[in-house]
Amino acid sequence: MTGGAPGQRSRAAVPAGLLFLVLLPLILMPIAAVFVFALKGGPAEFWKAFTNEDAQFALRFSLLIAFLTAAINAVLGTWAAYVLSKYRFPGEKPLTIAINLPVAIPTVVVGTSLLLLWGPIGLFGKALEPLGLQPMFTPAGVLLAHLFVTFPYMLGAVKPLLDELEVTYEEAAYTLGAGKWQTFRYVILPALRGGLFSGTLLTFAHSLGEFGATVMVSGNLRLRTQTAPLYIFAQFEAGNVAQANAVAAVLAALSFVIFFFLLRYSGTRKS
Amino acid sequence: MARDFDPAGRLRGRLLLAGGAALLLYALWPWLPVPGRPATPRTVVLYGFSILGEAMNEAVLPEFARQWRERTGERIEFVTSFAGSGTITNQLILGVPAQLGLLSLELDAGRLAKAGVIPAGSWRRLPYGGVVNRTPFVLVVRKGNPKGIHDFADLARPGVRVVHPDPLTSGGANWAILAEYGSAARRAAPGGEREAGLRSLLGVWRNVVAQAASARAARTQFENGFGDVLVTYEQDVLKDAVKGTLPGEIVYPTSTVLSEHTLVVLDRNVAPSERPLIDALVAFLWSEPAQKLFVERGFRSVDERLNAANPAFGRIADPFRVGDFGGWERVKKEIVDGIWKDRVLKETGK
Repeated sequence: MTGGAPGQRSRAAVPAGLLFLVLLPLILMPIAAVFVFALKGGPAEFWKAFTNEDAQFALRFSLLIAFLTAAINAVLGTWAAYVLSKYRFPGEKPLTIAINLPVAIPTVVVGTSLLLLWGPIGLFGKALEPLGLQPMFTPAGVLLAHLFVTFPYMLGAVKPLLDELEVTYEEAAYTLGAGKWQTFRYVILPALRGGLFSGTLLTFAHSLGEFGATVMVSGNLRLRTQTAPLYIFAQFEAGNVAQANAVAAVLAALSFVIFFFLLRYSGTRKS
Repeated sequence: MARDFDPAGRLRGRLLLAGGAALLLYALWPWLPVPGRPATPRTVVLYGFSILGEAMNEAVLPEFARQWRERTGERIEFVTSFAGSGTITNQLILGVPAQLGLLSLELDAGRLAKAGVIPAGSWRRLPYGGVVNRTPFVLVVRKGNPKGIHDFADLARPGVRVVHPDPLTSGGANWAILAEYGSAARRAAPGGEREAGLRSLLGVWRNVVAQAASARAARTQFENGFGDVLVTYEQDVLKDAVKGTLPGEIVYPTSTVLSEHTLVVLDRNVAPSERPLIDALVAFLWSEPAQKLFVERGFRSVDERLNAANPAFGRIADPFRVGDFGGWERVKKEIVDGIWKDRVLKETGK
């Protein structure tokens, strides 16, 4: 970037300036507005809104769900990527498409379909009801929705690396007498490190901000299933803009940190 | 791997790990077993319609918790959710674990009964037929009333933009329809009530520019600058009007409906051990201390004597109730569906 000739740089001024002008009202100013409004009443007001019991619960609950989602999907997604990349079997293509589908389906539809399956009137829900099990409108339901919605991110980050990984390394490891687990632990896993890292962070970030599916399956119960985005929406709708903004600002700041690491890491990996 | 010789990269990795661990600790904190923390309290789950949120969460429920603790020594935690009455009803039908529901109209209680969530008519066995409190429907106009709006009839004038909650999800919107219909019908000559009501509704709905999911959301839209007039519960705007922070002023129509808010008990979600607690809470809602708190928060008590305590309540020349039009079942069939949905919506193309 810094290596451009002076002539190139002056030619870049016009398109770069134009891009900046377009992005300013589109992306940059709205983000800035969240922070400006969050601190409008002074730091004391912000702190009061931030330390409110409901806000604290919502943030913590969102973080826990994000941690769990990231951990579970890191394992599940890597495994799925491994199977899809290593084995050839009939129905592989449709399965790959189906697994990636959550990216394309509107999240509200995901929420609805989960409700229709697991809810008290749903197929599984009806069977579980007599057992006293009821995943919808509980933290388990929220987790289920987030696992569904974020599933493709891990897969997308890891599978290309696995596809690239030459079989010869694996075979060499076997020839040297390594077991299946040893091969995975010392040969495959290190090669996947970058993908695992960015996939997990992406999953975490996405789970932290998930709204559409969560609003359907959570029941929006304060102090029980209300995530941070739901809290923001509920407070905004009730006209408590300051409350909504305090949490929104924290959520935005968290995402910045996550994306900072994502960008920096993928940057060093390539160089 | 080249990365292992990159000290900056390692530092970043450690920073990330430490940050992640700190975040996890923060998230888990309330659930960690720290000595000296009080035992988990008993919980009551209550779903209510939008405008009741603050009165319940900040006044009535804490007061009950205080009284209960004095009497039994137990702590109670309230888990609540507030949204449009129709939304709440749908969630209750889908099986949210609520023990109590506070609906903005009896019709939603009827829907719960139809879905088998509660026995039909069970709420009518509660005091006052299940009605916890009331509030009249009023108009909110911009400061100084630039469009000169004084009654529902003025909403029909060309160029007036009306912000209205959505009757599909909002109980308040259904009350508003009854208010718009009734205010005209009650002044019509005998035999001409239906025609007068229809004309009133047609006039208002031609001018509706925004429909929000709940009364509260409609108010937020109005406060954000949409429209010239908002149709809403008096209670929802009274507090800010008194404080002077309402970006508008309240106009009392000559004739309007008093909405009545119905409590339902979802017996199937009440464990036998929770019965005394829930029964005590239900009884408390109609007790004088609770009714006084409602009046303080701008609701009109079912006990008329208590309403003098709030001087901010506006005078309405001709208030009426849903009972005057034969109850909600009839009003829904004949007015909301028969006139508003089948005629007004079609003719205004909304």
